[in-house]
Amino acid sequence: MRKIFSVVLATALIIILLFGVADLPTFGQAENPSNNEVSYRYLEKGVEETGAVNVVAGIILDYRAFDTFGEATVLFTALITVIVVLRRDEDE
Amino acid sequence: MNKFQREAEKSDILTEVGRLIIPFIQVFAIYVIFNGHLSPGGGFAGGTILGVSMILHRLIFGWDNLISRLTYERMMKWMCSSLLIYGALKGYSFLTGGMHWEVWDIPLGTPGKLFSGGLILPLNIAVGIIVAITMYVFFKLFYEGTI
Repeated sequence: MRKIFSVVLATALIIILLFGVADLPTFGQAENPSNNEVSYRYLEKGVEETGAVNVVAGIILDYRAFDTFGEATVLFTALITVIVVLRRDEDE
Repeated sequence: MNKFQREAEKSDILTEVGRLIIPFIQVFAIYVIFNGHLSPGGGFAGGTILGVSMILHRLIFGWDNLISRLTYERMMKWMCSSLLIYGALKGYSFLTGGMHWEVWDIPLGTPGKLFSGGLILPLNIAVGIIVAITMYVFFKLFYEGTI
C-alpha cells in the first residue's frame, strides 16, 4: 500500500514538473524573457549606482544582496546543524 | 586537554616555514576581502583564504596561545553578529530604497577608491568572517570531534 502510494505520488510529481518544463521558451531565441533590459542596466549604470568598479561585486552585494544573505545563511545553518548533530562535550 | 590539543610534534622546517608564510596568507586574505569591490575576490574568496590560514596555524603550531583564543563561544558570537549586521544593514538599505524614503543613506564615494561602494565593503567583511569561521569550525569538528 505504501509502495503504491509513493509510486503514484512520484509519478504525479514527475508529470507536473514535465508540464512545467514543456512551457519553457525555446533555447536561444532572441525574444526570450531572459534577454531583457536588466543586464544592460547592470553594465551601463552599475558603477554609477553601486559605486563599485567590480561589477560582479556590485551585483551580488548591492542589487542582489539578499541572495548573498541567503548564501551566508545557508553556511550558518549548515554549521549549526553539524554542531548540533556531531558535537560532543568534553566530559562525555 | 585531549590528545589533539597537546603540543604538535615539532618539525623545524614546518615550523619555520609556517611562521614565515602564515602572516602573508592572512594579510593576503584581508587584502582580498577589502578589495572585493575593486578587483576579483570578495568575502567568499577572502574568507576561504583566512580560514585556510587558521587551519594551517592549527596544524603546524598545535594548540598554542593564539589559536586557543578562538573559543566556541567567541566564534559563535562573531558569526551570529556578522549575520545580524549583514541583515540589518542591507535590510535598512532595501527598505529605505524600495519605499523611496528620503533618509540618510551611506555615501557611494569615488569609484575606484578603497572606501567607496557604499555598503559593499562592510558586507564583504561580514561574509568573510562567516566563511572563515565556517571553514575553521568544520575542520576542527571533524579533526578533533569537539570545538
